[in-house]
Amino acid sequence: MIELKDITKTYGKGDSLFTALYKIDVAIPTTTTAAIIGKSGSGKSTMMHIMSGLDRPSEGDVIINDKALSELKPRQIDKFRSTEMSFIFQAFFVEANQTCYQNVMLPLEIAKVGRRNRRKRVLEALSAVDLEEKIDAQASKLSGGQKQRLAIARAIVNKPKIIFADEPTGNLDSTTGELIIKLLFNLHKSIGATLVIVTHDEELAARCSMRIYMKDGEITRIEGKSKQPTATSKKTRRV
Amino acid sequence: MFLSDQIRRAGRSLRSAKARTLLTAMAIAVGAFALTLTLAASNGAQSFVNNIIAKNFDPTELIVVADQTVLGGGDASKPTEYSGNFGSSVSNSGAVTQVKRLTDDDIKKVKAVPGVESVREDITANLQYITRPDQKKFVGTMQSFPPFQQPDLIAGSIPKPLIGKQVLLPEAYIAALGFPSVEAAVGKTITVGVQKPPATGAPQTFSQAIVQDSVVQEFTIAAILKKPTTSQPGTELYLFTSQEAAHELNDISTLGTANYRAYTDIFVKVADGNNAQNITAVQNKIKDIGFYAQSVKDTQAFLTQIISVLQGIVIAFGLIAVLASIFGIVNTMYISVLQRTREIGLMKALGMRKRDIGRLFRFEAAWIGLLGGAIGAGLAFGLGTALNPWITAKVNLGAGNSLLIFQPLQIGILILILVIISILAGWLPSRKAAKLDPIEALRTE
Ligand SMILES: Nc1ncnc2c1ncn2[C@@H]1O[C@H](COP(=O)(O)OP(=O)(O)O)[C@@H](O)[C@H]1O
Ligand SMILES: [Mg+2]
Repeated sequence: MIELKDITKTYGKGDSLFTALYKIDVAIPTTTTAAIIGKSGSGKSTMMHIMSGLDRPSEGDVIINDKALSELKPRQIDKFRSTEMSFIFQAFFVEANQTCYQNVMLPLEIAKVGRRNRRKRVLEALSAVDLEEKIDAQASKLSGGQKQRLAIARAIVNKPKIIFADEPTGNLDSTTGELIIKLLFNLHKSIGATLVIVTHDEELAARCSMRIYMKDGEITRIEGKSKQPTATSKKTRRV
Repeated sequence: MFLSDQIRRAGRSLRSAKARTLLTAMAIAVGAFALTLTLAASNGAQSFVNNIIAKNFDPTELIVVADQTVLGGGDASKPTEYSGNFGSSVSNSGAVTQVKRLTDDDIKKVKAVPGVESVREDITANLQYITRPDQKKFVGTMQSFPPFQQPDLIAGSIPKPLIGKQVLLPEAYIAALGFPSVEAAVGKTITVGVQKPPATGAPQTFSQAIVQDSVVQEFTIAAILKKPTTSQPGTELYLFTSQEAAHELNDISTLGTANYRAYTDIFVKVADGNNAQNITAVQNKIKDIGFYAQSVKDTQAFLTQIISVLQGIVIAFGLIAVLASIFGIVNTMYISVLQRTREIGLMKALGMRKRDIGRLFRFEAAWIGLLGGAIGAGLAFGLGTALNPWITAKVNLGAGNSLLIFQPLQIGILILILVIISILAGWLPSRKAAKLDPIEALRTE
């Protein structure tokens, strides 16, 4: 379970103070597929960064499986991210001048996975996204859809418990995007990880079991299963 | 991340920017090239000096002089006060100078110094000529044979002790004096002419002086000296004889002059001289009685000193090149960090530790240093090895000596130092990479 408790994130000081997130209160149960939906600038990415420990909230706390991130040292958060989480980005962020193998290998190297299992696991991940034939091809030779599949392979190679995807179809045409989405949901079923997708695509959001709607740094509505009271109701209670 | 993964990733990112890497490495390569050659030349010079010393000097002996200038000391630009002990001396360059000499009385004083085992005068007698019946005459120089010396022989043997009118003849004289072979020469005699100094008084013509005032002596050839592998330059054709025979020749040629029984230098054997303390003790005592004593170590230091100065200059140039390359590395590494902002952000997002990211870039810098060092040292080694025989011949060091001596350990240490310097140069850029904010780095809009 990923719990956000009263998260506020502000940038700047004084006159230029900007509140990117305001009193976010939400819980995403384990193995759920959750969509964070909102317009550009509504704070979706910021929320995702805070959830993953990449960014620190100005106020509030993130609790993942009963562990408060604020109590962890940077080293422990790094370890946490390298073993239990992974990311998929809108702009893929695959290393163009490296081979597919080297790209997918990166999380294994970071998590210090023993050398013996590496190739097998990379192959597994690549065949899960149907790229096993490209294993030794330069990533620069891949099409956009293939690049995102490569990024997905990189995201699943470490068997993470949580996958964060920040607008994974944002840079793809609708047919390719559709394929990527299907792939993501299939993988979610087979590996059983929690999947958090940031998107402004309603169609994609509709497939998720949980939908978190955001506007101007606040949660306006939560649909789907959530044991927590909605953010709005809690907020009104406190005011 | 495992160290090996970091090293590999660092190497890979360099390969993706080959031209930049190579150009940066070239600056270090220039430094490594100069430094490798300098070190090799320094080794060569050192071993050359050591060879000369080992063949020509006994480490338990001191060279003692009455005049500092003989040992290259003193101030040649200031007038020296004259005393009765001065006699003329010819320097290597041919200049005739007056130097203060050691007399028999002086030698007695030195012998009386505690710790002195024995004293032998360094005698070099100018011969008028060497010849054999029905053969041409050749000029020559006869020196007293230092008992510890073990020259390479091609025939005969050196009697122990070498006494009387026996001579060790350099190989070059064999054919000149008409011997059919070196073996045939052993045991034969040669004729040596020594010129008496012109008698004072009656005026003479030049030719009279030559004809009338020569003393002729017969010497038996005990052994034939091989062409010396290492010898003090200019002494290659010296003939050697016993101390007393050299003495006699010298007395004849100097009788009545200021150089009679007066020596520019003497060799003082120190009792238990393998102990450096004894050497120093005797050295100081000899100084106390007004003479100058130089140990073999001093001689070595003096000879090496000139070499060191030249080396210092080349090393300085090498270091300047290395210094310049530091800026190159810093610049290259900053560019690399900038170019790979995304990648760094991604690695951080995936949980790579700050420390590991910093290290990744320091390894990259280390690779550049290693590459530059290896290229420079490799080129120096290759070029040096190829040209060494030619250079050595040109410089005329004599057989058995090399101008350049490459020592793998030394080159290894040099490259290691260059790698460390490169890592230090990569420090700031690597810190920048480690401190990079992943969210900033991954921002797309
Ligand atoms: N480092 C920052 N400094 C100031 N403002 C920021 C910073 N990062 C994000 N913001 C602002 O926070 C808001 C939310 O950004 P973001 O979470 O990226 O939105 P989304 O992903 O929903 O498009 C935006 O208005 C953005 O300009
Ligand atoms: Mg965003």
